[in-house]
Amino acid sequence: MNSLQIIVCVKQVPDPEGPVDAFQVDPNKKKVIPIGIPPLINPFDENALEAALRIKDCYGAKVIVISMGEKLAQPVLKKALAAGADDLILLMDPCFKDIDSWSTAYVLSRAIKKMEKYDLILTGRQASDWDFGVTGLFIAEMLQIPAINLARKVEIKDGNVWVEKLCDDGYEIVKAPMPVLITVSNELGELRYTSVRSLQSANKRLVTIYRANDIDLDFQNLTTRKIHNLFLFNDKRQCKFIEGESLQEKGEKLALAMKTDGII
Amino acid sequence: MDNLNPKCGRILVVVEKEDQGVNSFTLELLGIGRKVATDINGIVCGAVLGHGISEVTKGILPFAEEVYSIDHPLLEDFKVELYASALEQLCQKVVPDTVLMGCTLNNLDLAPRLACKMKVSLITDCVCLAIEPETGCLLCTKPTYGAKVVSIFKLDKKPYIVTLRRKTAEPLRQGSILGEVIHFTPVLNGTSQIELIEKVREESVRLDKAEAIVAGGRGIKDTEGLEKLKELISALKKYFKSVDLGASRPLIDSHLVPSSRQIGLTGEKVAPELYIAVGISGSLQHLTGVLGAKKIIAINNSPKAHIFKVADYGVIGDYEDIVPALEKKLKEI
Repeated sequence: MNSLQIIVCVKQVPDPEGPVDAFQVDPNKKKVIPIGIPPLINPFDENALEAALRIKDCYGAKVIVISMGEKLAQPVLKKALAAGADDLILLMDPCFKDIDSWSTAYVLSRAIKKMEKYDLILTGRQASDWDFGVTGLFIAEMLQIPAINLARKVEIKDGNVWVEKLCDDGYEIVKAPMPVLITVSNELGELRYTSVRSLQSANKRLVTIYRANDIDLDFQNLTTRKIHNLFLFNDKRQCKFIEGESLQEKGEKLALAMKTDGII
Repeated sequence: MDNLNPKCGRILVVVEKEDQGVNSFTLELLGIGRKVATDINGIVCGAVLGHGISEVTKGILPFAEEVYSIDHPLLEDFKVELYASALEQLCQKVVPDTVLMGCTLNNLDLAPRLACKMKVSLITDCVCLAIEPETGCLLCTKPTYGAKVVSIFKLDKKPYIVTLRRKTAEPLRQGSILGEVIHFTPVLNGTSQIELIEKVREESVRLDKAEAIVAGGRGIKDTEGLEKLKELISALKKYFKSVDLGASRPLIDSHLVPSSRQIGLTGEKVAPELYIAVGISGSLQHLTGVLGAKKIIAINNSPKAHIFKVADYGVIGDYEDIVPALEKKLKEI
């Protein structure tokens, strides 16, 4: 059997766990401006990469990570190589600036089409910046391959993919032939640990960079995200702290405060 | 079917089914649909997909001018490829201005496929919709960046497709419209490359229906800790009709609590009367799921925990001592 070829699509985002005041908005430019927090690989895409690496561990596979953006920070994305990916492809071009999910999927699908072979395409369930959760499924529609959404487990058996996928009242075990696209949810598990040494050696590795002209794009298909307005969310409530000599007293006083204030 | 008035703007609501009846989420969607329809002088249409759906269809009639019944044996169970194909065919026939869907896991699978087939964008997980008067575009408000930033996106190419978050509008109580049932039969190809091997139903959790929720987070280390929360839940049942257990992501990822109980960005979005967060630091990805709660009580041993910034009451200290004392007192008073 030819070895499996797995493509993992990842997005570079500002650290979603960054402190609240690290996110500012420029209402005129309609942009979110992260201040003092580093970019990283979208955590859900890391779940997807982990799914790919587990398959590689069990059955052997070539894992190719692909990312798209106007500007991408190589050291950030090379973490994928340090974790065990075989190749990293960066699609970088000024014309990718602020493009919407549909165009992102279009660019990624054009780049994937250029590859001689792919068996499995994995993406995270959504990106932690805009939280849309549509790009993966769009790529599948554009490549006209089947897609399985929200996987919590991915395995290969007898040349088919077996997936546990989340659904509204539990989960389903489904099986599909390849090629197939799978979006991965956080239940699958976090990306494995990458040591400083592996990060350092990944940093020295070469990556493939494609510009828009290299991947056969119809530029008319690139549309930007239409943002009407942006503002910071503010749901600060006045927190009334319950004081007491002991924790037990605090617990009791909380019950009394709930009663007095008509919560119960 | 062939004499639909093409000039009339249609807001198509994809109906959520539940035990043969109309569920409250659908009634919320129909209410939001009505507001948008009023803005464009249009009408509300329902789309019911499934098999043996006459009861649900009838239930929608008081709330929608047109109810499309897509009753097909292949649609008995939710199969995303078939549902997407049926809806695509319906949209081509009906040409709606807007398609409204509930933000459920199934629809997170369905809506992007429909949008891609219709060659339009979509906005998922919206909390508010409005028509821009000058342009007729649909403005969709949605929490982004893990609820740190609220964004309003503009859709300018019809059909506008959106999924809406639960509990962002009051469900309609009574309707006085005498809608018309219109049967629509799509051409469906039952073969799918994706084969269902087994469906595993986990305990049925309806966090959206709970009046009060006690939720645990990273601070809860083991089943013993969970037991303390469960005892608090039973004490609260004296005051609330329904009280349930929720959790933030760390408890899901450590498999202490099934994912159906997860509250937050990738879990349920809830709006109970009372939300008690125990050992939850208050990451924004969790808080995005509880923004609608009327009162929030936070118990956490770190005074710096972000949860206190969004709580109405805070208790600093170890929940293992605070929760049993709270529970005991609640039973006494």
